[in-house]
Amino acid sequence: MRRDGFGRLVLAEWTKLRTVPRWMTVLAGLVGVTALFALIDTSDQGGDVSEGESLQDADFTDDFHFVHQPLTGDGNIVARVVSQENSHEWAKAGLIVKERLEPGAPYAAVLVTPEHGVRMQWDFGEDVAGSENGEAPRWLRLTRSGDVVTGYESADGTDWQEVGEVDLEDLPSTVEVGLFVASPLAVEIERQYGNNSLSEIPTPGEAMFDNVRVALDRGSPAPGDGEWNDYDTSVEPDLGGSTESDGVFTVRGSGDIAENVRPFDDDLVERSLTGAGVGMLAVVALGALFITAEFKRGMIRTTFAACPGRGRVLAAKAIVLGGAAFSAGLAAAVASFLVSMRTLRTAERAPGTPELSLANPTVLRALVGTAVLFALVAVFSLAVATIVRHTAVAIPLVILPLLIPSIESGGLPLSVANWLVRLTPAAGLAVQQTITRYDTAIAPLVGLGVMAAYAAVALGVATLLLRRRDA
Amino acid sequence: MDATIEVRGVRKRYGRTTAVDDLSFTVRAGQVTGFVGPNGAGKSTTLRVILGLDAPDEGTALVGGRPYRTLRTPLLHVGALLDANAVHPGRRARDHLLWMAQSNGLPSGRIDEVLELVGLTSAARRRAGGLSLGMLQRLGIAGAVLGDAPMLLFDEPVNGLDPDGIRWIRGFLRSMAAEGRAVLVSSHLMSELEDTADHLVVIGRGRLIADTSVRDLVASASKDQIQVRTPGRSEAMTLLANAGATVTAGDRETLTVSGLPAERVVALLGERGLPVLEVTQHRASLEEAYMELTRDALEYEAVALEES
Repeated sequence: MRRDGFGRLVLAEWTKLRTVPRWMTVLAGLVGVTALFALIDTSDQGGDVSEGESLQDADFTDDFHFVHQPLTGDGNIVARVVSQENSHEWAKAGLIVKERLEPGAPYAAVLVTPEHGVRMQWDFGEDVAGSENGEAPRWLRLTRSGDVVTGYESADGTDWQEVGEVDLEDLPSTVEVGLFVASPLAVEIERQYGNNSLSEIPTPGEAMFDNVRVALDRGSPAPGDGEWNDYDTSVEPDLGGSTESDGVFTVRGSGDIAENVRPFDDDLVERSLTGAGVGMLAVVALGALFITAEFKRGMIRTTFAACPGRGRVLAAKAIVLGGAAFSAGLAAAVASFLVSMRTLRTAERAPGTPELSLANPTVLRALVGTAVLFALVAVFSLAVATIVRHTAVAIPLVILPLLIPSIESGGLPLSVANWLVRLTPAAGLAVQQTITRYDTAIAPLVGLGVMAAYAAVALGVATLLLRRRDA
Repeated sequence: MDATIEVRGVRKRYGRTTAVDDLSFTVRAGQVTGFVGPNGAGKSTTLRVILGLDAPDEGTALVGGRPYRTLRTPLLHVGALLDANAVHPGRRARDHLLWMAQSNGLPSGRIDEVLELVGLTSAARRRAGGLSLGMLQRLGIAGAVLGDAPMLLFDEPVNGLDPDGIRWIRGFLRSMAAEGRAVLVSSHLMSELEDTADHLVVIGRGRLIADTSVRDLVASASKDQIQVRTPGRSEAMTLLANAGATVTAGDRETLTVSGLPAERVVALLGERGLPVLEVTQHRASLEEAYMELTRDALEYEAVALEES
């Protein structure tokens, strides 16, 4: 490769970075300090069952009341949801096909909710919206044809619209069909500085059904079919049950059939990366010094005399600095993860939960994302320092928006705190999340995008000013 | 590319102060051009404008006929030393030159050559923070000649050098010019440029005061003064004063005479039978010439102030 044009500048900037021993010490030191933080933070958790338990939780919740009967072969079930208590915005009342009476067994359901209309759901998380204002009273129908289950809704029981269709692979000939009611837990949060008091309160779901019909496509029901039975996995047994009179079913249930969002679980991967905050401070300082050291001594003039293209110089600096911060960040994140997982991981895992290892894509996203975050923070700091030209001004300007949301937000209502996180560079820290919690402000990659936007805008302004100002 | 630096009508303001005001001059190849003026006269500003670091409000500066900022490998065209302290103290001397060389695609072998040239080979692996000011000047000069450029700019390169270093840099500047390069050296002390500069650009308060060869400047300052040595000093003084000359007595037998050409002085003294032991043309020092120039400039400034 010929060393001309931009490549020359990148090489020159890399030489500048690597030949100041203190800067290389900072890069190496941040790896060590970050990992040490992870070790200290997690060392007192060894053998703590409550920490390990979160790993043993299943990835779904399957808590509801089910009034069911077996269905052999193809057929359908129809019912009208007469009324539904608004016990929770996501309370569910409707029809369900379930492979067998066991938590976690495959299912497909068509249902109404108090505030989110008609939905078709399956596989603990798959969700298709039907009509938006389709609250009770509403006619629902679920047909099973081979492995395919289709959900329909209707306002009057004659004019039907399809809501969704799903292929539940390898569905056995006999499945359980029927009415179900669920109502998710309500999260109550009391926030004080340094202390979040959290509680999950069961909500009592209740709905009435009539016009309940189960029909086979061909043949007649086997003996014993047509008998309704109760199956209850409500979070509190008191809240589950059913009564029937003159074909009107009143069903009560509490819980949810959904992906387990584990709103209060510790995010172990994020936890293992606690020290990254400290490492990031080092990256901020390095990013600022990489250019302010030149401003301070007038060395920027030597640089611009050697390379008059100022935007290209800044771009070369950003690439070198970003690359160095990425490498150090990746080493720090992997070291922290390995060090803390030794104590946080418990030997037993529930079936179906992912193993927290470097091979896990979500874990990898958090670790590589942390490295990308380091690179973005370094470039952001470089750009801000280019704009203000003084280390002592630049460093607080970068660090405060990164830290304030996590310091201040404890005293703010959660919604305000979450907006603070979404709108500041601190959003980038979201990339360390591996589960969705009650206080999750922003999705991991979106958060990283917010940080990237800050870095890009700052770099643009810095380039403009660098070109316009006298050196 | 021709090795000529041209400054044309450059004006530069910082806020309300005018640092450089309508300045024009040319630095030619094969000469050392001294750029002289008191501190704050605008020398460094002018050098920064030439190097494309500061943008002039008016006018242009061209190196080899092109604006500096259009050069893709500037170190191959123009070498400059602006501030010897502009080095990161943690970096080794050799590494400082290494990034400069890399930025312009120069081979690293060139670094050892220039270190040898400025006599820093033994200090190559020392960190810049531990170098004396004299050594830093040499490092800065090494950076300036790294690209073997035909045009060289040095801002106050003599600062901090010991007498040996001063002698060295004078010889160095002369040899650079002798190789056909255009060399511009700024200084606030005219005496530093004596015996070094061929040409002088003198500025004060951002304005051009003189753009002249050193020989012409000294000759004009020396004017028609002559020194006469004669045993009959008092008699000669009266005689010459009566003839319309301005006469001052010097050491023992010497007189400094102005207002009369040398031939007339010798003829007058000969007519009276006074022995003339020696007649010499008085040669003003560069410093005297400079003082005379800047005095005029200051008077001009004073008049201008009164008029305004």
